[in-house]
Amino acid sequence: MNILFENIRLIDPVQKIDKVLNLHILDGKIHKISEEAIKKTDDMQIIEASHLVAAPGFIDMHVHLRDPGFSAKETIATGVAAAANGGFTELVCMPNTSPAIDSLPIVYYINKKAENLPVTVKIAATITKDREGLNLSPMLELNEAGVVYFTDDGSCVCSAEVMKRAFNFATPNDLLLAQHCEEHSLTKNFSVNESETSIKLGLKGYPNIAEEIIIQRDLKLSEYTGNRRYHIQHISTRGAVDLVRDAKNKGLRVSTEVTPHHIYFTDEKIQSYDINFKMNPPLRQQEDIDAIIAGIKDGTIDCIASDHAPHSQYERDVEFENVPNGVIGLETTLGAVLTKLHHQEKIELNKIIELLAINPRKIMKMEQVKIAENETANLTIFAPNEEWIVKKEKFKSKAINSPFIDEKFIGKPKFIINNNKFITSEL
Amino acid sequence: MDNVLFKPYLHSAEDLTLEQVNAIFDKAQFFIDNYNPKEKFKDLLGVTVALAFFEPSTRTRLSFELAAKHLSADILIFKSIGSSIVKGESFVDTIRTTDAMNVKMYVVRSVFAGVPQLITQKTGKIVINAGDGKHEHPTQALLDALTLKQHYKTFAGLKVCIVGDVLHSRVARSNITILRLLGAEVRLIAPGTLLPRYLKPWNIEILETIDEAIDWADALIVLRLQKERMENGVLPSLSEFVKFYQVTYEKFTKKDKIVLLHPGPVNYGIELDYKLSDLSNCLINKQVTNGVFIRMAVMSLLQNNSVKCE
Repeated sequence: MNILFENIRLIDPVQKIDKVLNLHILDGKIHKISEEAIKKTDDMQIIEASHLVAAPGFIDMHVHLRDPGFSAKETIATGVAAAANGGFTELVCMPNTSPAIDSLPIVYYINKKAENLPVTVKIAATITKDREGLNLSPMLELNEAGVVYFTDDGSCVCSAEVMKRAFNFATPNDLLLAQHCEEHSLTKNFSVNESETSIKLGLKGYPNIAEEIIIQRDLKLSEYTGNRRYHIQHISTRGAVDLVRDAKNKGLRVSTEVTPHHIYFTDEKIQSYDINFKMNPPLRQQEDIDAIIAGIKDGTIDCIASDHAPHSQYERDVEFENVPNGVIGLETTLGAVLTKLHHQEKIELNKIIELLAINPRKIMKMEQVKIAENETANLTIFAPNEEWIVKKEKFKSKAINSPFIDEKFIGKPKFIINNNKFITSEL
Repeated sequence: MDNVLFKPYLHSAEDLTLEQVNAIFDKAQFFIDNYNPKEKFKDLLGVTVALAFFEPSTRTRLSFELAAKHLSADILIFKSIGSSIVKGESFVDTIRTTDAMNVKMYVVRSVFAGVPQLITQKTGKIVINAGDGKHEHPTQALLDALTLKQHYKTFAGLKVCIVGDVLHSRVARSNITILRLLGAEVRLIAPGTLLPRYLKPWNIEILETIDEAIDWADALIVLRLQKERMENGVLPSLSEFVKFYQVTYEKFTKKDKIVLLHPGPVNYGIELDYKLSDLSNCLINKQVTNGVFIRMAVMSLLQNNSVKCE
C-alpha cells in the first residue's frame, strides 16, 4: 500500500483539523500529511482528491451480522464487505444470533471469523441469558473479553426488576447498557406505526408511547442505581427525544442513536404494503422526524447507527404482516445522512463526522482514531457532493431489504483504509 | 355503463369512483333483471377464476362461486388455509404456481391485510379482494349499499350507523368509504376498546348508546363480534357487551323507519336479538341475494375492462 491523496480535505473534529492537504499512506500507516506537495514515486498510486474528504474511520454501533445461526441472511464476511462498501471501518455486531452472544465461546467464534478483515468487528453481548429477560449474562467476563456494550436488542428487557439488577451489576466497570425500547404488551403483533396509516391499512399499530414508557422507566432506573451509563437504541419518536433532552439537562449519563431510515421516511411510505419499509421501531410521522432532526442539531441525539438488519428474500415472500422486521443500512447510511442532514438540513461536515465517527466511540469509551504521521491509518474517504442512485445489484450484503433502493443521494462513500487494507467502494 | 374504466383490481373501496360504483349497481341490476337459471351469462366464458380463500369462509366463497358460475367461468378453488405453508412453501411460491396454470382472475380472502395487493404485484392478473385481515371487504360494502339503495332509492341525507367491533372490522372500513362516496352520513358506535384511536382519516362522529344510534339512524349496519380476532380481555365479558351494545328487539322496534343490515354470519344473542331476524325491515337475506349479483357485476366489469385494455 502506497497511496497519495492529493488536495484532500482532511476533517478531524477531535484535533480540530479542517484543511485541504496531501495525504500519503504507506503500508497501512499515515506516512505524511502536508500542505506542501509530496514527492511522487513510480510505485505510488496517486489519487486526485480535491472533491474528497478524509475523516477518522466511521463506526456503526448497531449492525446485525447474523452469524452464528442465520448465515442465510448475512455472514461476518458479507456484512463486513457491506460495511467497507458503505464507508465504515468499524462496526459493532448485535447479539440476537443463535446462540445469542451471551458467553465467551461465541465471542471467540466471532473474533476468529473477523480476523484479517478490512473492517474491525466489535461485539455487543446480551444483558440477559439467551435474551430471555430473566437471568443476567456474565457481563464482567464478557467485558473483559472485549465486549463493548450490552443489549437484548430485538427485544426489550421487559422486567423493571431485571433491568435494575443489570444496572447494579454493571457498576464495577461502569459498563454501558443499551436498550431496544419497546413495551411489548403494547406492540404485540404490530406491523406498522400506530397512526392513520395503521387504521387505513387494517394493520396493528405500534404506538409512540410503547417506546417512551420504557425510556422513562429506564431513565428512572439508571438514576436510581447511581446514574449508570444508558444508551437508547434506534430512537424514533418526538416524545422520546424530549425525554432524552430533559434527562441530559438533569445530568443523567444517557446517549442515543438514530437510524437513517427514521430521519428519511414517514409511515406514509407503506400505502401499498411495501415490505422494504417494515421495521422495528416502525417508520413514524413527520413531527417525529422534525423532532429527531432538532435533537441531532442540539446534541440530544448523539450518533447515527444503521441497525443493518439483513433478511433473505425467501423469508420476505410472504404476507406483509409475516414479513420479518428490519432493513439493511450499512451501504446507504452515509449517502442518506449526507443527503438529508448535510445537503437538506445544512448540518456541517464536521458535525456529520462527529455523528458517524467521534460520538459512537465516545459513547462506548473507545479510543478515538488519531490522524497523524506514523499513526495507523483508520480512515473513511467520501465524496460529499457526488450524486448517485442506489442500486441493489451493487450491494455487497447478502440481503437487498433496503428502503433506499433507487433513491437519489448526494454524497457517496469512496474508500476506506483500515487494518492495513485499502478498499474502494463499488456502489 | 360498460365504458367506465376500472383498475385491473378491486383491493379497497378507495379504488372506486362514484361513477364506477354506479356502474357496478347498474350492472348488478341488469343481472337481477335478466337472471334466468336455465341460461347462464357468458361474461366469463373461457376465464379461469381462482377462489383463493386462505381464511375459512363459507358465505363469501359460496357467493363468489355462484357468481362465477352464473357467468360461465372455469373455477379453481383453493382448499382452505395454509396447506402450502405447512410444506414450507412461501406464500408467493404458491401464487406463482397457480399463476402458471393460467388463472386470469383471483378472488382473494386472507387473514392478513394486503394479500390482494401482493397477488397483483406478483401476477398482474385481475384481483378481487374478498376480505383481507382487518383491512377491507369492498364487495360487502357494495352489496350493503345496493341493499340500502333498493330500500331508500337515494343516499342523499341517508343516515347510517355502524355498530360493534369497528376496530377489527374490514367491513366497516369499506362501508365508510362507499357510503360516504354515495352521499350518506355515517356514524359509529362501539365499546371504547373496539374503536381505533386514530379516527382522523375518517373524521367521524361516535355515538354512545344503542338508543341514541337507533334514534339517529335510517339504517344500522351491525357488525359481527369477531371473537376469533379479539385479544383476551378487550371486553370485560360478553354479557357486558350484550347489555350495552346489543341491538335488542325492544330498542329496535321503537322506531318504524329504520332498517337493519349485518354482513353475517350473525351471532344471534350477542350483537343481535334473534327476534329481529323475522322483521320485514331486517334486510339480511336481501343482502345475501344481492351479494351474488354485486359479485357478478364486479367480475364482469373487471373482465370486460381487461379485454378492452388488451
